[in-house]
Amino acid sequence: MVNALTCLIRKKVTGDSPVTDEEVEAIGRELRCSIDKVFGHSLAIRELDTGSDNATEIEINALNNPFYDVERFGISFVASPRHADVLLVTGAVTHNMALAARKTYEAMPAPRFVIAVGDDACTGGIYAGTYAVLGGADKLFPVDLKIPGNPPSPKEILAGLLALMKRAEADRNRRFF
Amino acid sequence: MTQTPYDGTCGIRELLGFTITDDRITRGPAHEYSVRVDEQEYVQAAENLALHDFALAALFACEEFSGRGRYSIFSVFERKQDILILVRDVDGHAVSIAGLFPSACWYERECRDGFGITFDGAFDTRRLLLHECYPDGYHPLKKEVPNRSPEIAGDWGPEREYPFRVVNGEGVYQVPVGPVHAGIIEPGHFRFSVIGETIFNLEVRMFYKHRGIEKLAEGRLPADCLPVAEAVSGDESVANATAFCMAVEQASQIAVPGRAWYLRTILLELERIVSHLSDQAGMLVDVAFPLGANQFSVLREEIVRTSARLTGSRFMRGRIRIGGVSEDISSDTLSGLVVFLTEFRKRYRVGLKIVLSTPSVIDRFATTGIVRKSLLRPLNITGPVARASGGNSDVRVNRPYGIYDQYTPRIQPLSDGDVLARFTVKASEIMDSLDLIERLVADIPGGETCSSDAVRDGHALAVIESPRGQNLCWVRIRDGRIDRYKVRTASFCNWLAIEHAVQGNILADFPVINKSMNLSYAGTDL
Repeated sequence: MVNALTCLIRKKVTGDSPVTDEEVEAIGRELRCSIDKVFGHSLAIRELDTGSDNATEIEINALNNPFYDVERFGISFVASPRHADVLLVTGAVTHNMALAARKTYEAMPAPRFVIAVGDDACTGGIYAGTYAVLGGADKLFPVDLKIPGNPPSPKEILAGLLALMKRAEADRNRRFF
Repeated sequence: MTQTPYDGTCGIRELLGFTITDDRITRGPAHEYSVRVDEQEYVQAAENLALHDFALAALFACEEFSGRGRYSIFSVFERKQDILILVRDVDGHAVSIAGLFPSACWYERECRDGFGITFDGAFDTRRLLLHECYPDGYHPLKKEVPNRSPEIAGDWGPEREYPFRVVNGEGVYQVPVGPVHAGIIEPGHFRFSVIGETIFNLEVRMFYKHRGIEKLAEGRLPADCLPVAEAVSGDESVANATAFCMAVEQASQIAVPGRAWYLRTILLELERIVSHLSDQAGMLVDVAFPLGANQFSVLREEIVRTSARLTGSRFMRGRIRIGGVSEDISSDTLSGLVVFLTEFRKRYRVGLKIVLSTPSVIDRFATTGIVRKSLLRPLNITGPVARASGGNSDVRVNRPYGIYDQYTPRIQPLSDGDVLARFTVKASEIMDSLDLIERLVADIPGGETCSSDAVRDGHALAVIESPRGQNLCWVRIRDGRIDRYKVRTASFCNWLAIEHAVQGNILADFPVINKSMNLSYAGTDL
């Protein structure tokens, strides 16, 4: 049997990360606590691009680089909407993507949360009212949180996730008492 | 002045293969020649240009341009430093040249969707930009069509489904992928026909992200159009904004101050480094080598943060403007950049050494996803993809813009055409861009950073080397507002190369091949 103490005392096999960003660490720690409480240790995110200019994808992708490395906070990006708790929607919803986007949302199990990331996903941005787009993500399905920005930075996206977790935590507490 | 081998108008007649009067030939501000032709002459000219090794760089339409027909169709032919534009005035019918220039196929389908122009003799008449949900007979780029949503179908029957090419035979089965992919990437549909593990055929269906960029620009003041140009493709924000500004500046004869061009060039090269680094990291993720990938993604994040310090935006948005740049960058900040890049170069070399000395990586990269050199001209493949397949096209060298005539990059083409060649070409281009930036910072002159000249009516073509290859932008200004904004990014052409590159490869290698070509969905779908 493995002694739990040895895990704590033994020297780590891996080295420390050469890059740390105190702000990110602080948001991450809080996020970790929140996710542990509400989602049972892990939060699965599915990213859905409904017509972005790819800048927002790049920033979401950056969350996985060693500076942010969000997996250590309990966040993982999953390949299927069927495994997801949260849908991160980027870009205004184009007519050409509307059907696929709707199917993706419908494939998620409840309870499900939707976050619109970036100005275009929040309101339609510069495309609002034009021929090729439906508008923001809320034209397709209910949106729980909007993170504005052109595009928002990885830190802002992380702070947005924290805000959603806090709200979910509050909702849960309200239900209990 | 660029010396053209056809030496003025008499050379053009020889190239076209028929006599043409002088009044039909005009010379543009960037030393490109435009020739007005009728349909019959057009086909003859296209045949001759194909024989003379010209590639079709773009084909697009503009409404109410000449007064001689409802639409004018511009075909931009290119051979090294030469650009020849054939202009046809048509009313609703035009002759297809997709048989002569395969790259014409997507352009003609795009024109048909946008303007309702029929191309006689075209072998592919499926819709391109507009998917099943759009009503039949809807052509959004026509001036009479307002820029608001038409009646959109929520669902449709099988008879309306997009007909993919069907590949039949024993043991052939289809693997449909997308538009929503497994990773954090943009949407597109890939229809693989597979025999066992091996890809027999791939058909790419794009334009899920068609968000009407070109129409969005129409009617805006040129200065208000920069956010639109930057939204063409996020990771090419600087390149597309610069191309747009170059076109407006040429049309309006605005002279950009020297310091502004130095600053623009520094940002353009920084953008190239960031783009190539992301690619290299992505390629290593796709062959399951996180040790190497993380080296590059750490460097990438650092350089992005440096860009943000330089310009206030992680994507360097909002700095390029018509006539120059919106804000100066202090010499202290610039020397800080050089200090950072010196350290960066050392660490990049370390990362590169780790990757290139790992046999499992080389094993996955070498001989994977070969783009044959013979495809470069017919499909007009450009950028690092072309330079890894023996091509030596680079707009910065062939048709230097801004100050690239004084700061010529070294083209170091490779001929293997596989993933490894593309990885290596990108590595040498990163090194080269680092050198360039250092030289630019050392030589940067003082002075103004933006011209105060006013925008004037006119039209012009701008060609620029973005991180992905040749980007082309055509702008027409009428009554002080944008009348037509045509963008053609390198990805639009390079997407077709992937259909060829994957043939004979196993399905599991598709992600790394795709990443190695670094294709922008947003920049293609517009």
